[in-house]
Amino acid sequence: MKFRPIVIAVLAFIGMVDALFLSIKRNAGPIPCHVTHGCTDVLTSKYSEVAGIPLSWFGLAFYVTVLSLAVFAIFEEPVRPSGFPVRAIFYLSGIGLIVSALLVGIQAFILKAFCEYCLLSAALVFSIFLLSPHPVQRTVPD
Amino acid sequence: MRGMPKAMKPVIVIILAVAVAAGAAVYMSRQPEQPAETNAAPLKADIKGGGHFRGPENAQLTLVEFGDYQCPSCAAYHPFVKEILNRYPKQLRLEFHHFPLISIHPNSFAASKAVEAAGEQGHYWEMHDAVFEYQTQWADKPDPKPIFAAIANRIGINGTILVQTMESDAIRQRILQDVERGDKAKIQAVPTFFINGQEVHIKLGMEDFVQVIEANLHK
Repeated sequence: MKFRPIVIAVLAFIGMVDALFLSIKRNAGPIPCHVTHGCTDVLTSKYSEVAGIPLSWFGLAFYVTVLSLAVFAIFEEPVRPSGFPVRAIFYLSGIGLIVSALLVGIQAFILKAFCEYCLLSAALVFSIFLLSPHPVQRTVPD
Repeated sequence: MRGMPKAMKPVIVIILAVAVAAGAAVYMSRQPEQPAETNAAPLKADIKGGGHFRGPENAQLTLVEFGDYQCPSCAAYHPFVKEILNRYPKQLRLEFHHFPLISIHPNSFAASKAVEAAGEQGHYWEMHDAVFEYQTQWADKPDPKPIFAAIANRIGINGTILVQTMESDAIRQRILQDVERGDKAKIQAVPTFFINGQEVHIKLGMEDFVQVIEANLHK
């Protein structure tokens, strides 16, 4: 019953570490890639921030919110759950999925360089979205 | 957690998770960086000949940079390289080598040619600075030559002559020789810096630049 929120919380935790790592490493010199090529190119490009705010900060805010919602879902009353946390995760990760797809597209077609940390984040968002229960199913009365 | 109000439990779990994640991220960021496919030992390069110099010939230190004009991180480092040369006008000189990564930066080779062509008119460093500074204007263009010509005109060089000179075989060979030097030095990424033949890892920002230069001046 609580399997999905627990897995979502774990994925959000990994995302938090990833986003925090990138926030700390930003402006701290070249960030070496171990799997892909071009981490520094991606992370220092003009697409790496919005209005002067690094995208990793937005990622961090996203993962902290998803983690919080997942933890609240885990601790929800099993008899009569409100369903709000899982609904919120569904919609939030849906938006995250669109943004992630856009960012992967920028890496592939504009920058022609890939950052493994960004790809990991996109994979996490995708997994969270798949795991987030569809709100229609959750609102069907018992 | 038993005597705790129910609403407090998730809050405590969230705070703990954020704290552990922060600890993990800080730990990871402090791990020594090992470039892929290489060991941690800094590169040693015996780079002789070629390159363009900026600064006094008898400077105590030579900062060698292998760079790519279309690489965003090279453009990000560029103002700090200029600033460090201003701070150490007698002790430091720069030696720049082209290392265009054409597989990911299709306009980088043309940019190197444009800078070399400006050098033919005696304005290598002016064009070098301008090409980095206006990188976003030409980097994504299918044909960057008109922009290089416009940049050249802006800094007082004849743009038409510059575009014609860019096609010279001598310029092409000069850049390829630089690439060969970079390959011999086993360069994996740009920008890569050397001081007196020893690779140095410099973080983006003046503080680390100053530290590295000071450490090498007092060796």
